[in-house]
Amino acid sequence: MNPILVMALKDLRLLFRDKLGAFFIIGFPILMGLFFGLVMGSPTSSVSQGKMKIAVVDLDQSETSSKWVSFMAKHESIELEELDFDTARESVRKGGRVAMLVLKKGFGETAGVFWREPPTIQVGVDPSRAMEAAMLQGMVMEGIGQLAGQRMMDSSSMNDMIARSRADLVADETISAGNRLLLNTFFASLEKMQNSIGALQADSDESSAGSLGAGGFEFANIESIDVSRKIDPKSQAAQLPRLKSRWDISFPQAMMWGVLGCVAGFAVSIARERTQGTMTRLQIAPITRSQVLLGKALACFLSVVLVVVFMVGLGVFLGMRPGNYLTLAFAALCVAICFTGIMMIMANLGKTEESVNGAGWAINMVMAMVGGAMIPVMFMPQFMQGLSYLSPIKWGILAIEGAVWRDFDFAEMMLPCGILLATGVIGVVVGTTILTKE
Amino acid sequence: MSIPAVTITALSKSFGDLRAVDDLSFSVQNGETFGLLGPNGAGKTTTISLLIGLLRPDHGSVVLGKTESRDPGNPAFATVRQSVGVAPQALSIYEALTAKENLEFFGQLYGLSGAKLKERVAWCLDFAQLAERAKTRAGTFSGGMKRRLNMAVALIHEPSILLLDEPTVGVDPQSRNHIFESIQTLREQGMTILYTTHYMEEAQRLCERVAIMDHGKLLAMDTVENLLSQFGGDSIITADLQSIPSGVEIPGARSGNRIRFVAPRPLEEVAKLSSKGVAFQTLNVIQPDLESVFLKLTGRNLRDG
Ligand SMILES: Nc1ncnc2c1ncn2[C@@H]1O[C@H](COP(=O)(O)OP(=O)(O)OP(=O)(O)O)[C@@H](O)[C@H]1O
Ligand SMILES: [Mg+2]
Repeated sequence: MNPILVMALKDLRLLFRDKLGAFFIIGFPILMGLFFGLVMGSPTSSVSQGKMKIAVVDLDQSETSSKWVSFMAKHESIELEELDFDTARESVRKGGRVAMLVLKKGFGETAGVFWREPPTIQVGVDPSRAMEAAMLQGMVMEGIGQLAGQRMMDSSSMNDMIARSRADLVADETISAGNRLLLNTFFASLEKMQNSIGALQADSDESSAGSLGAGGFEFANIESIDVSRKIDPKSQAAQLPRLKSRWDISFPQAMMWGVLGCVAGFAVSIARERTQGTMTRLQIAPITRSQVLLGKALACFLSVVLVVVFMVGLGVFLGMRPGNYLTLAFAALCVAICFTGIMMIMANLGKTEESVNGAGWAINMVMAMVGGAMIPVMFMPQFMQGLSYLSPIKWGILAIEGAVWRDFDFAEMMLPCGILLATGVIGVVVGTTILTKE
Repeated sequence: MSIPAVTITALSKSFGDLRAVDDLSFSVQNGETFGLLGPNGAGKTTTISLLIGLLRPDHGSVVLGKTESRDPGNPAFATVRQSVGVAPQALSIYEALTAKENLEFFGQLYGLSGAKLKERVAWCLDFAQLAERAKTRAGTFSGGMKRRLNMAVALIHEPSILLLDEPTVGVDPQSRNHIFESIQTLREQGMTILYTTHYMEEAQRLCERVAIMDHGKLLAMDTVENLLSQFGGDSIITADLQSIPSGVEIPGARSGNRIRFVAPRPLEEVAKLSSKGVAFQTLNVIQPDLESVFLKLTGRNLRDG
């Protein structure tokens, strides 16, 4: 077997024999990932559990329009608030609400009446939340459908409407005699049907009425309002809605703690070879010094890959759905190379296990805090976000997130991955050079 | 015994102002067991480190093994290293690995694998008397067990030159005996052994030739026998006498029945006295050993530092 591989396998074995080391690499990340994932809550559940925030602008202020608003408000997946037009639009633009609905003047007259031109509802949806918008559109239609259903059920208002429509018909001279006859017959039969329904006192529930809307009939014209985002794409409001699961933020973050555990563990193991005297044997064995160090590097690389694979596996088991596994593999590779390089530099921080461990974790903590392994970068104050660019952890998380939920394309991956690769290569070269010169 | 396995020529190494090894020259013949004797700080470990290339000499040179044109005996060469086994004075084993795993790992570093590796591991476990504890982590071993494993690891790749730096420190007498027997077996198999110690009796028992060093300098080098006769001095005889016939002259000092005297050939003296009718109640003869050789050479006891 190649001596580098022999070294690496031995070091992996040693790493997992060390209980505390293994805890930092696997146990701690699991706890972190689960804890923050649970704290964060699930973004998908917020859609289905009545938390889709919608603004309604009721310019009609009629009985029908407020009825429709109350239908919508009853929907369990919607949190509705009536606002004026500008406030509503601003709140959608800033990411505070998913969408705004505008009922124009005259809505009440035509909504839910089959034979009239359907009412126009203006909808402004946050462009980053297309999925929710589609759901909302369905609900809007359903609301109108309910309105229509209720109008039919409510005999007096229906009869009243039929009477009024008949009067309109009589007054409207543009309607030809033939058509007028046809419509009159239609109204008459409609009146008859309406009365018999009233007599039956149909205890119909709203859903059966709602199903009228689902029958393919166009209840309303949906007109869109431009609410193009005014918000900074780096803000939480821009990023959070794209999350696909509650583990999307916590797991990439937690992984980094495992990665840092590997870094500290292997940096210390190089010092330990010295203190326990085994470095002597390695030096007098028929292998070169760089083979010894490359063995360490390989072991570190493999363990980082292992941590990422394990955490992704656990995340997927819990419901995380990485967008692109190929990109994820590439990200993991870059993370592993980067932190292997950092490990090789860190190994030079001291001669004893204690000094390397102390200095190593001090640096690790700074990298982790600044890089967003504790508090995600997007939740940090502005100046801290600026500082985070200096931490390899930030780039590691970004690369992993790019593959998991940010849906980065190849070009977008190149920035974090390029930085990770460069850091790694520099680290391995510099670290190995110093270590072999001793 | 004509081809030297180890040749050291005018070797010097300083740490700052301290001359740890000072113009040292000696050679160890092929198949010889050679003792390097000296008190703490004499420079034994430094000499070993220079021999295996862990340290670079300030002056002088080191040649290991057969000197061929392609293989200049420089310990920096992998082929040279392959033929050398070292049991460092400082324990150098992985405490988190078991005895077996330690042996397997180092065996693989020396290119062993498969059945050969298995066979060597078993041999070494047996050598170190650790077969029953093969699957126990070395960290839980007693000091003596670790020491034995440390020595066994040096033998995993069947080296032709074995460098043992105080291999018996902290080993109980029984295990020490086992180690001595094993070393004697290795010697019979033709292995060249360089053995450092400050236990004179070990050198006396194991080594054909001994070099005595102090403060980095070689003081004397010869067979044990020659060293004793050259530097050992006289034996010391103490005895309690039962009766002394009148007229018999008693050598040395006397107080009451007890006598004490020195003589180059103690047994002849005792026989002479006996034949004159002196009856002995007790008799104690202290023969010179390497300890006394060292005392003679340096004016100091070996272990007082
Ligand atoms: N790396 C070093 N740096 C500085 N001084 C050293 C170093 N190694 C050894 N020395 C010094 O060199 C001298 C010889 O040390 P060495 O270890 O060779 O002695 P030794 O004969 O092996 O002693 P012992 O019987 O105690 O093992 C000592 O005075 C020691 O302090
Ligand atoms: Mg020593």
